[in-house]
Amino acid sequence: MESSLHLKRDPDAASPGSAGRQPLQDVDALVQGFGQLNYVADRALATAVFLAVQLRKPLLIEGHAGLGKTEVAKVLASLLETTLIRLQCYEGLDVNSAVYEWNYQKQLLAIKIEEKSDLTVEEKERHIFSKEFLLERPLLQSILAETASPVLLIDEIDRADEAFEAFLLELLSDFQITVPEMGTIKARHIPYVILTSNSTRELSDALKRRCFYHWIDYPSLEKEMKIVSTHLPSMEADLRSDVVRFVHAVRQLDLAKPPGVAETLDCGQAVMSLGKHRLDEEVVEVTLGCLAKSMEDGQKIKDAGIRELLGNSE
Amino acid sequence: MDQQRAAYSTESVVAFCRFASANGLSGGLHRSLAALRAVKAVGSGDREALRFALRAALCCSKAEWDLFDGLFKAFEETSQRTPEAGPGRQKKTAEGSSQREAPRQHLLGYDAGDTKPETEGKAVAGASARERLAKVDFSLVPQNDLARLEELSLRLLRQMSLRLSRRLKSGYRPGPTDLRRTIRRNLAHGGEPIVLAWRNRRPRRNRLLIFLDVSGSMNAYSIFLLKFAYALEKHFRQVDTFLFSTSVVDVSDALRARRLSGALEKLSQLAAGWSAGTKIGASLHELNRVHSRKLRAGDTIFMILSDGWDTGAPEMLASELRAIRHRVRRVIWLNPLLGLADYEPVTRGMAAALPHIDVFAPAHNLESLLALERHL
Repeated sequence: MESSLHLKRDPDAASPGSAGRQPLQDVDALVQGFGQLNYVADRALATAVFLAVQLRKPLLIEGHAGLGKTEVAKVLASLLETTLIRLQCYEGLDVNSAVYEWNYQKQLLAIKIEEKSDLTVEEKERHIFSKEFLLERPLLQSILAETASPVLLIDEIDRADEAFEAFLLELLSDFQITVPEMGTIKARHIPYVILTSNSTRELSDALKRRCFYHWIDYPSLEKEMKIVSTHLPSMEADLRSDVVRFVHAVRQLDLAKPPGVAETLDCGQAVMSLGKHRLDEEVVEVTLGCLAKSMEDGQKIKDAGIRELLGNSE
Repeated sequence: MDQQRAAYSTESVVAFCRFASANGLSGGLHRSLAALRAVKAVGSGDREALRFALRAALCCSKAEWDLFDGLFKAFEETSQRTPEAGPGRQKKTAEGSSQREAPRQHLLGYDAGDTKPETEGKAVAGASARERLAKVDFSLVPQNDLARLEELSLRLLRQMSLRLSRRLKSGYRPGPTDLRRTIRRNLAHGGEPIVLAWRNRRPRRNRLLIFLDVSGSMNAYSIFLLKFAYALEKHFRQVDTFLFSTSVVDVSDALRARRLSGALEKLSQLAAGWSAGTKIGASLHELNRVHSRKLRAGDTIFMILSDGWDTGAPEMLASELRAIRHRVRRVIWLNPLLGLADYEPVTRGMAAALPHIDVFAPAHNLESLLALERHL
């Protein structure tokens, strides 16, 4: 099936390593493209990203911490050779820090400077509320992109409150922002939107309805091996297998925060920098902090018996 | 040929969407359209690609995500079987209708062991076949005290303390300066900031999570307390209600019926383990695990209504309650037995729970509920 939805700006931007193949031609090309950028993507994730890009719908990625949700957006941006605009959500996030803000100090100075000029009040007002004084925050930046569609990453949307979510809905359906002093700004290039959530709270149905959805689960043994070898190429195969198997055994425990892939990589890095070649009880104990992120979790791992976990895993 | 393939997939995709929404996914025209566009984008030849595309388009939560693969498989099996299996049906050339019928029938066989198919898929997903599905006829319950309960719930909710959110908005009390407004207001003074505008923190209402024990020992009170929960749900959106005995059931949606009788009718359809044993610790654990997003940090008041007779391990109860207390704003335990003159909270469960409770209060009649006003 030939699709020409968005390819019009791609031909001249042939990506370096794709051997003439468009990275977004189909799902397999996308898997390959992600792979070249050191992101091991399965077909399910690639399909979701492919659809989000092709159909210009936001993609909502949920999953536990440390499984590479944010990374998807970063990799997508470099795959498309476009800019990544990131909005980190937090409690209390408001329009001023998400969309735009006036540069008040500059405005005050401008008013002072213009005090003696012959301009009328209306002219002065128009001047200090012009683009020159506008501080663009991530959402406005994504709308104002000049040359190509950027990738807009709205990270940890579950941390923002419902009011912000409602605002976002409006943005995601119209891709326009109204600044009362300046009028409505419409996006020239509609951004590719990726939302991530740690599912600490339920998102509104309206928001979810507008998005494609992908749940990132803990990777399978084989996939995690592949990820580790991609990111830590200098790691010996035996040690890699030890670490990954051990982490998989730890995930079976009922921890408050099971270790993600990021923790596996941390742990591997730590063990490597200690100059060890195999994983044993002693090494695990000193690097436990890489996997267990609370005292209770650390205790649980110890209670389960590190030797058993290592043994189980073989 | 391409035309033909497209026509085929449109039919079956729509059929699948209907099938999926009848069995627990949140459907709707919007989603079906998204699914169609998604399938078209990936090309419908490859089975796996089709599955991934449909899953990305139709699911919107982890629960649905988990449900999806089973549904897809079930649907696929039936739609493969239908063409050969039903020669009688082929008279009907309207393919859509026969395909729509088949999956439903199939699903009867697919999980008939677990639940009755006409109950809401979502609510049932949590209950397993092993559970004793005792049902209670609530419609026989007298409803005369409902009006008073509603009146009471309104009073309670008006009193619900306001919490200051971290988001600032313009306000009248001195605080951080609202530069935006200050500049706007002082344009008339030539930009000299004479009149200042401020930003204050905005009040926000608390949410309430009711965790109601419907085990055997609570029989005498559970209907009364359920009505209390109904009254709260009716007037206040930010209330979630869960029933528990040996497992946990979210009944918030059922309770949001317009009439109490309707709500009770819906409830009696839900398998909540009425009058079964009590595993408070395990139930809290399930709440913590499965429904943790309802326990919103900082602004949730967790209200557990139980007599504290627990057959599980008290250590588990204590640790789970501690975990909940870490998350929520306040833990209130209402114990109907506390209304008895000589009651002492000495049962193992209750004793284990006490250190992790902010408010321990009786709840055996209207008066005791009225006293709650102070704590919300």
